[in-house]
Amino acid sequence: MSSPVRHKMNRLWRVFATGYCFVFFGLAGIVLSATVFPFLRATSRDADEGRVRIQRAMSGVFEFFFRMMRFVGVISYELRGTEKLSEVAAGKLIVANHPTLIDVVFLVGLLPTVDCIVKDGLWRNPFLRWPVLWAGYIPNSTAEQLVESCAQTLKSGRSLLVFPEGTRTVPGQPFAMRRGAAQIALAAKVDILPITISCDPLMLAKTQAWHEAPRGPGHFIISVGDAIPASEYLVEDVPHSLAARALTRRFESYFVDSLAALQKAAATQVSDSAPQSEKNVHAKALANSSL
Amino acid sequence: MQTPDQIFAQLKDLLVKLFEIKPEQVVPQAHLFNDLDIDSIDAIDLMMHLKELTGKKIQPEAFKHVRTVQDIVDAVAKLMNEEAAK
Repeated sequence: MSSPVRHKMNRLWRVFATGYCFVFFGLAGIVLSATVFPFLRATSRDADEGRVRIQRAMSGVFEFFFRMMRFVGVISYELRGTEKLSEVAAGKLIVANHPTLIDVVFLVGLLPTVDCIVKDGLWRNPFLRWPVLWAGYIPNSTAEQLVESCAQTLKSGRSLLVFPEGTRTVPGQPFAMRRGAAQIALAAKVDILPITISCDPLMLAKTQAWHEAPRGPGHFIISVGDAIPASEYLVEDVPHSLAARALTRRFESYFVDSLAALQKAAATQVSDSAPQSEKNVHAKALANSSL
Repeated sequence: MQTPDQIFAQLKDLLVKLFEIKPEQVVPQAHLFNDLDIDSIDAIDLMMHLKELTGKKIQPEAFKHVRTVQDIVDAVAKLMNEEAAK
């Protein structure tokens, strides 16, 4: 088979496999919501135990799911600093940038127990509303209530995952982070654990349809950073409104720098390992695709 | 905090102090969300500070339709007048 044909076949396969993964995910959600999740809830002593067991089950399902996506050749990934993630993340606000549709699959899959904010649509979904409720996930209500309930969850020692952008990054645009995540950390007075997600070639981004498979499998890097102490921003006589602005700027610059470092490392790696012209073009494309 | 001008001046100080807004940005027609980057949590903060300043109870309903700086001035002025009339 000549190379362009193989290229096309490969791409078609990934379109098909992506579709398969989505259908699988949807069906698995329905089946588990009718079987495993109610069973776990019914056999738990109380809501607290049920919440932990259902979160663990969710985490297992999501981990299976991102492994399956790699198995069928749709994505590849590298996990950095995730070995002790559940220890490091305990009681912290986890913030991540949000390049793709499946970021939450990675993060929930890598964190055995974590609380999330879940949008209105899922609370109205006849199948998924119950597992989401039993898992103790937080409904996306009014800003004031949301900050309050998120802070409460953190104060009780759980960890919480928030994407400060509120939605997926618009490719090629600077980050537009909202201040809710910072407000939550300040209200709860907890440290913040940043996790950087990169995907190159980019797939399942905000401006892409699911069937727009890129030139190769999307390569994900999930990189756990160093915690940001909330105490740096909880200074006496500085109102939260100003601290939240400063902390949000810190998030933005953190993710800009962290993504640039990941892309730079990837570019040098490619050109070091194979100095053919094709690879160099690839490296240059990588360097140019920085935000 | 009596005349609309005085209310505006105090509001301007608050906005500058709380939200990193430049004094020259605070004009009556400035849109709070679009022009001054005030989000809903900031709005709650602002209401608490207005409450301290005016010494009046502020019902969230009074600020429900507030969109611009002038809207706040009007809402506060209305509150003060209501109290004075009682």
